Amino acid sequence: MNKPHIPKSISQRLASYHLANLSPAWVELAPNTEQIKSIGGKWQAYFTKQPKVNTNISDYCDTLQGMLPIEYAFELPHMQLKDNTYTDIIAFEDVSGGWLLFLDVTNNVLELQQYQQAANELHLLKGQLDRTLSRHIGHEIAQLAVDGDIQLNTEGERKIISTLFVDIRGFTNYNEKVDAQEVMNTLNAYMHEMLQSILDNHGIIDKIMGDGIMAIFGIAASNNNHVEDVFQAGLTIQQRIKALNEKRAQRQQEVLGVGVGIATGEAVLGILGSHERRAFTAIGKHVNLAARLESNARAGEILLDEVTLNALEKTPHHRRVNLELKGIGKVDVYTVVLD
Amino acid sequence: MIQKKICILGAAGVGKTSLTAQFVYSKFSEKYLSSMGVKIDRKVVHVDETDVNLMIWDVHGEEKYKKIPTSYLRGASGILMVIDGTRIDTVAVAEEVRQRVLDKLGDVPFVYLLNKSDLQDAWSINENIMQQLQVTGSPILLTSAKTGDNVETAFSTIAKAMLPT
Repeated sequence: MNKPHIPKSISQRLASYHLANLSPAWVELAPNTEQIKSIGGKWQAYFTKQPKVNTNISDYCDTLQGMLPIEYAFELPHMQLKDNTYTDIIAFEDVSGGWLLFLDVTNNVLELQQYQQAANELHLLKGQLDRTLSRHIGHEIAQLAVDGDIQLNTEGERKIISTLFVDIRGFTNYNEKVDAQEVMNTLNAYMHEMLQSILDNHGIIDKIMGDGIMAIFGIAASNNNHVEDVFQAGLTIQQRIKALNEKRAQRQQEVLGVGVGIATGEAVLGILGSHERRAFTAIGKHVNLAARLESNARAGEILLDEVTLNALEKTPHHRRVNLELKGIGKVDVYTVVLD
Repeated sequence: MIQKKICILGAAGVGKTSLTAQFVYSKFSEKYLSSMGVKIDRKVVHVDETDVNLMIWDVHGEEKYKKIPTSYLRGASGILMVIDGTRIDTVAVAEEVRQRVLDKLGDVPFVYLLNKSDLQDAWSINENIMQQLQVTGSPILLTSAKTGDNVETAFSTIAKAMLPT
């Protein structure tokens, strides 16, 4: 026969089994007050002096100040009533009045604390990793990598991507005539505008080379075609640099321009380097072409290859230019006519 | 003397215990120790010619699988809501906790503390987030438990907000 209720002897056994290490103490309160009617159990574990009948319990346990009388049952888990001890306080009412139950859960909490500490440290570490990656490859791709949704491996993956190179014009001359600290401040100001334009348009920073950047598009998730993203990044760079230069001119600071080169094609993506030092990169013919376009672009100019121009949904105003590019030969390229 | 209970809340690792330790004991430790449950500290602050005995409930951090029990909020007159200025995800946690506090306590004074202001290089609170916090109408302070910047101000601001006008 299946009995629905736990026999009294079993519940007593269970209670003594579970309560044995909890040093229970209890306080009975007069109805709707915080006045002590009776006290029992191991009160020494929770109070520095014995609570007396007809006095207020919060005089002995200031944690309870403002919490009584017990209007409805509540629990205060893991209260540090004394240094290095943890107490669960359980408050409830029955027909005779209110009850406060004190249980020493120190051992349990200290064990939990070990797990909690490890879990929190891991969480903080994951955040640090995410932020470090974000600085190099943008938040979006960093999040994908941290979550394991993309693999950055050494085997290499073939993919059609767009590559953008941008470089500050006349920086070498500027570098030679100005104090190093000022050069660093100027470089950071221009770099900030260029990097932000790339990251805002789902580009990944492949390399920062002195005063130039190589960025690739078509790897980070985007709602747009990567050709639209790379073109938008190029435009944004020139717009932001123009705005920066206006501010710098007002402050009588040196004004510099940037040249942008963009090309699209197949590349092998992967990790280069040894076990100790590795870097994510893209290798392909169009990458070299983009680099050559950038080195031919004048300050304020964006040069595109034919593949990029043809892949754009809306063809921008442009002029065709036939250039002799080092290592590539004569090629038609397109300079974007900016407003 | 007026006595007021305040709760210091926020995500894990934002610096709640460090801010309390800096305020009460003028101490700071670089070592991160995850808090469990609640530790209560007290300190008297003097605001507008009134001594306010602050009972500071330093509550464990809010986590996905370990929410702050609303029973801890019982009797609280003010909230210090801590955000780690270098971790943007702690803003959403603060917002979630704020909603729970408002449901439980109604319209109590809040002060937002954007902590770790000494880590400017890693700072990730942008204009949009500042505007989002400003909409709440609660004071916002940049604090550093490490250097002590604005820590006294944080506690006196909440003490003042709790005093009857």
